[in-house]
Amino acid sequence: MKAWAIHIGKLLVSSFLLFLAVVTVLFFLLELAPGDPVQSLVGDVPISDAVREQIIAAYGLDQPAIVRYFTYLGNVLRGDLGYSYATNSQPVLDIILGRAGNTLALAVPAFVLSLVGGIVLGSIAARTRRRWLDSGISGTSVALFSVPNFWLGMLLIIVFAIWLDWLPTGGMAPYGQSGIQPQYLVLPVITMATTELAYKTRIMRSSMIESLGQDFIDTARSKGLSSSRVLWRHAMPNALLPMISVAGYSLGFILAGSILIERVFGWPGMGLLFFDAIERKNNMVVLGIVIVLTVTIIVVNILTDLVYGLVDPRLRARLMPQRREVAA
Amino acid sequence: MTVSQFDAVESIVETPPTPTPDSDVAAPRQTGGARAAWRAFFRKPAALVFIPLLVFFALVSAIGPFFVDNPVSTIYPKLLPPSPEHWLGTDMLGRDYLARVVYGGQVSLLVGFSVALLCMTIGLIVGGLAGYYGKAMDLVMVKVAEFFQVLPGIVLTLVAAALLGSSIWIIVAILAVTMWPGVARIVRGEAMRISQLGYVESARAAGFGGVHILRSDVIPNLMPPVLVATSMTVGRAILIESGLAYLGVGDPSTPSWGALLNSAQSYMNEAWWLAVFPGACIFLVVLAVNMLGDALNDAFNPTVGRVK
Repeated sequence: MKAWAIHIGKLLVSSFLLFLAVVTVLFFLLELAPGDPVQSLVGDVPISDAVREQIIAAYGLDQPAIVRYFTYLGNVLRGDLGYSYATNSQPVLDIILGRAGNTLALAVPAFVLSLVGGIVLGSIAARTRRRWLDSGISGTSVALFSVPNFWLGMLLIIVFAIWLDWLPTGGMAPYGQSGIQPQYLVLPVITMATTELAYKTRIMRSSMIESLGQDFIDTARSKGLSSSRVLWRHAMPNALLPMISVAGYSLGFILAGSILIERVFGWPGMGLLFFDAIERKNNMVVLGIVIVLTVTIIVVNILTDLVYGLVDPRLRARLMPQRREVAA
Repeated sequence: MTVSQFDAVESIVETPPTPTPDSDVAAPRQTGGARAAWRAFFRKPAALVFIPLLVFFALVSAIGPFFVDNPVSTIYPKLLPPSPEHWLGTDMLGRDYLARVVYGGQVSLLVGFSVALLCMTIGLIVGGLAGYYGKAMDLVMVKVAEFFQVLPGIVLTLVAAALLGSSIWIIVAILAVTMWPGVARIVRGEAMRISQLGYVESARAAGFGGVHILRSDVIPNLMPPVLVATSMTVGRAILIESGLAYLGVGDPSTPSWGALLNSAQSYMNEAWWLAVFPGACIFLVVLAVNMLGDALNDAFNPTVGRVK
């Protein structure tokens, strides 16, 4: 277990350093921002002198840069992301968390769709002997990789919502109703999944080709196993290993992509909040969302690494030598 | 094992395995083999289709303004659909949309190619030094690259542009800062491989300094994979810039294709052409550079990525 503890310890330390790096960069951007520092924190919102004094005190804006840096870092670490002065001085963290559910309602189905689709299509492309099918799938994935995602969303709206009138153009439910209705999910989820699907298909294809080229596959074949058994029991588990890290990292890109997709479909999640905040220069909210995104991505990356350590037999053997002795 | 946005590039840029020091691969790849590889590249169907397409877009952007009027100065009826007089219709203010798309292309292509050139330059310098010298240099580069892996480029660029201002050159600079590790990582890997080859050893034995060896022996031989990575960077930069512009970040006086899509959003009901044409241009240009990168890679590594 000791190797595990060291592994996890290293992971946590390097993750924390990355988090520090992101906060530091944000701080420098704030420092570099031209004009009045109070206004670059608050954004283009008129504030009273009393609030101005409060902000100067809370962020130590009358102090030297090094003190300001640690004040900012301290605030972030305590979960204090500031207040949205454009909307009744609500705490930024509350606003963001209030929107997170709507974003996940899009991101999770898109993630699952892209993962399952990528694995299936990539495996088909790798294994098929029909050249047209392989080049069809590979070509389509390069093409989908080159489409601006938000434009694809606009095209889907024009065709399926405006011309054919099959699906709603945007929002989460008919006007005046609350909650999320399923037909409102269809187009944004498909749009969000597309780029990731193309990318995962590509990775899965090369991973599967590599896996199918290994010696143990020849061994399995020469034992007379059926080709579907060779694929599912021998080639697939190996081909899936790189997909674990691909899947982990893709969540960050899906969340970042939601900024664009939510604007296309008027979907009131974190992405649309980010867009509105940028448009109104509500900078506290902008910085807050970046910090929440960073933390989410870092946590997912830690989990990905841990899962990888559990699943990959080579890593598992290195991290848990005791267990191997017991088994032996 | 980490996978990230850069692996989108790296999964495509596949480099040959490092030869063991005692295997006698002294000949640089550049001689003979490279010329044959370039010939193979120009014969590929992808090259035949997409080089002319890229040249077409570049020419239209470069000389188009001599043929179409600046869209701000000439006003026609609003929201005319495409017709023989207005090939791409007119927009919500009655400006000829073809003219707007031509002028928008200038911005998008300028951003894409400037960012890629900057990334290639930074990538060659930093990646070359890191790969050739290793040690501290290498560690710093890997850590910095890791940092840009964590935050998706568009997020960082959005924040920076929101705080610092959004002139086109600020956006180019921020994009280059967030995207250079993609090229640098490939340069680094290749520089490591090449610096172990016989002809570099002999240059070192002959007493040449590190910078001289990098410039005349290492860098010329790692150009093919770097060109592949750079061409992919053009595509990614254009995509990210169009996303930023679609969100309203950018110089409103020179709208790029993405900015045109931003204003098209409110008119999707009555004017599909406003949304379709600028997006199709982005798609075609990005597709062209990605396909050419793919074909270039195939030409230089003909055995990789094929089912046996």
